[in-house]
Amino acid sequence: MLLRPGADDLRLIGYYLGKVLLGLGIVQVVAALVAFGLREWNSLSSFVIGAALCGIVGGASEAKLASRQQLTWAHGMVTVALAWLVGAVFAAVPFHLSGHYEDWLSAVFEGMSALTTTGLSVISDLDHTTLSMDFYRHLLHFAGGQGIIIVVLSLFAAGGGRIGTLYVAEARDERILPNFIRTARFIFRVAMVFLVAGTAALFLALLVAGFAPGRAFYHAINLFFAAFDTGGFAPMQASVAYYHSFAVEAVVMVLFLAGSLTFGLHFALWNGDWRLVTRHIETRTLALSTSLLFAVVCFGLVRSGAYDSFEPLIRKGFFTLLSAVSSAGAQVKNGETFLSDWGALAPAAIVAAMAIGGMASSTAGGIKALRVGIAAKTLIHDVRKLLNPESAVVVTTYFAGKRHILRDQTARAATSVLLLFIVTYLIGAMVGLTYGTYDITQTLFESVSAASNIGLSIGVTDPAMPRGLMAVYLVQMWLGRLEFVAVFALIGYAISLARGRVSA
Amino acid sequence: MTTSPRPRRRRPTRWTLVAAVGLLALVLAGTELLLRVKPLTDTAAMVVQDLPPVGLEPEPTRCRRDVDAATLERLREPLTADTRITSAHVYACPIAFDGRRVTFVGEVIGDLIERRDGVWVQVNDDDYALAVGPMGGHRNHRGFNQGLAVWLPDGLHERIEAVGGPGRRGDVVLLQGVLLRNDPDDGGGITLRADHLEVIAPTVEVPEPFHPVQAVTAAVLAVLAVGTLAWSRRVQRR
Repeated sequence: MLLRPGADDLRLIGYYLGKVLLGLGIVQVVAALVAFGLREWNSLSSFVIGAALCGIVGGASEAKLASRQQLTWAHGMVTVALAWLVGAVFAAVPFHLSGHYEDWLSAVFEGMSALTTTGLSVISDLDHTTLSMDFYRHLLHFAGGQGIIIVVLSLFAAGGGRIGTLYVAEARDERILPNFIRTARFIFRVAMVFLVAGTAALFLALLVAGFAPGRAFYHAINLFFAAFDTGGFAPMQASVAYYHSFAVEAVVMVLFLAGSLTFGLHFALWNGDWRLVTRHIETRTLALSTSLLFAVVCFGLVRSGAYDSFEPLIRKGFFTLLSAVSSAGAQVKNGETFLSDWGALAPAAIVAAMAIGGMASSTAGGIKALRVGIAAKTLIHDVRKLLNPESAVVVTTYFAGKRHILRDQTARAATSVLLLFIVTYLIGAMVGLTYGTYDITQTLFESVSAASNIGLSIGVTDPAMPRGLMAVYLVQMWLGRLEFVAVFALIGYAISLARGRVSA
Repeated sequence: MTTSPRPRRRRPTRWTLVAAVGLLALVLAGTELLLRVKPLTDTAAMVVQDLPPVGLEPEPTRCRRDVDAATLERLREPLTADTRITSAHVYACPIAFDGRRVTFVGEVIGDLIERRDGVWVQVNDDDYALAVGPMGGHRNHRGFNQGLAVWLPDGLHERIEAVGGPGRRGDVVLLQGVLLRNDPDDGGGITLRADHLEVIAPTVEVPEPFHPVQAVTAAVLAVLAVGTLAWSRRVQRR
């Protein structure tokens, strides 16, 4: 029997949504300070409007909606699912006011893409946009990549017990330290260390590449946000190809990898435990899948005649593959040339890499190496069972932080999400085909990129794309980021609001 | 006799939802209104005059796998010395123009990336470069920026006065050189290695007009936000 949620439930959800908006407001205040420093007055006023709206709604919800009611799993799931939607809308306020987006849907698309660290963009005339607006796009990657919830937990939360549900609902089910607050703060500390080290490394690489110091710093900070948070935005429309520098590309690749590592492995590395990293099922799955796919990419590129020497295979082929696997989405070539210059095999391998994605509990998207690894282990387990006598007990284990026995429940959970991702990819691809202007290579590439929160584009996503398709990609980004469960909970909640019985 | 517990009355949810939807609608409508009253500038002067004509078919033909030699020849045939190529044509079929000498026109944008014997520069030939100017002062959406990566050896790049950026259209240059589909000096990138540069339209400053209504709205909302947050803190302390 469905119970209709009452006003008290909605109050609680509204209260936590308000907290998330306060976090988003702080992000916009930072962008406003940058705009003030650069004397970009229209951008400044648009950030102030955005931050003020967040402050008004967040402040009012804190004052009027505070409740003694405990946060349940249902509340947590619904709050997080709504947080990404509402967050994308409020993040879009400065975008829309900038005039660089054709309509509200485009601005919300950009907000969702930024927060989910997807990196598909529909901005018109990026190369002339104000520096503070460009900075804001990348800062949203950082806020979203660390998780809006993480930001809120780190900045506002006093106690961890009640808000652990929000953390798990955000598809970050790995608790590294004994409580959620300490885990959130550890993740934030890792990000801060990488922020300093990564920006410094990029700054030096850009200086060596021939940039003036001021511009090198501007590009370095934005590139860092996009790379470490496996975003996909770049300060210029030409993306990473703009820099013509292997040193810059190498630093960006290292940051991709760091961003796509699970925070548990960051913790292990932090403590110098390399053995844990090399034994981890996700490390092994990614190493194996990336090696195989790189072989396919190289074969495809050489066969198509795109490249015939080692350097382009690394700087174009490997970079793009790593960008796909890590779900970073940075490009070193124009998207259309995937179709017109790379043949069929290499783009197919890139699509496969995008579908697999990075590691669970990281900023990466996609099905995740953990699930692919478990699905593969399940297959091997089933074959072993068939080959052994019926009375034999076959036990399969995997290492993820510690040795686990592969249980049916784990296998089912992994394969269910895997299946949901595949269905989502196919739905997006089919919707694209209905417009009649794209072929299956294009629509599948773009659909996988959106649902896996990658950001590589073959040219379907652009400011003038069909609005229906834009809305589908927007939903795919949202679904992919939350890995379905929280969204299903929200749908269930909406149904019970409409059709559930009032509890006695 | 036992009495059953009195049913707890749950407060209605309808008005909570209506308030949330109303708030969202207000945000959307308010920002849309602000955008519509934004002061705009006339972009007629941004059209670059006397451009060489585009020598290829208006809609670029995209090459797909295993394109044959006859198709390639058909694609590149219309290109002559006094016509120009566009980046859209290049990206639609890079192999067709590989190693060809071409003429290309566009705005120098972003940075002059200095190397030992020259500079790398991005040259955009989109409508923001050649027809309507930088966005901010107008609302003529013309899609993404698009252009080519260009290598300018020493002796050429010194003629560039300024590059484009926020509120500024950089020098519009006419370039001639060899197009490479797989430039070994750029790790396999598609580049134009120029040997001739001519500035055909100088840099134009196009500052975004100040939006007074937006500034006043921001100030009012900021005061309201500070007030709301102060109220919220007071309520929480109680």
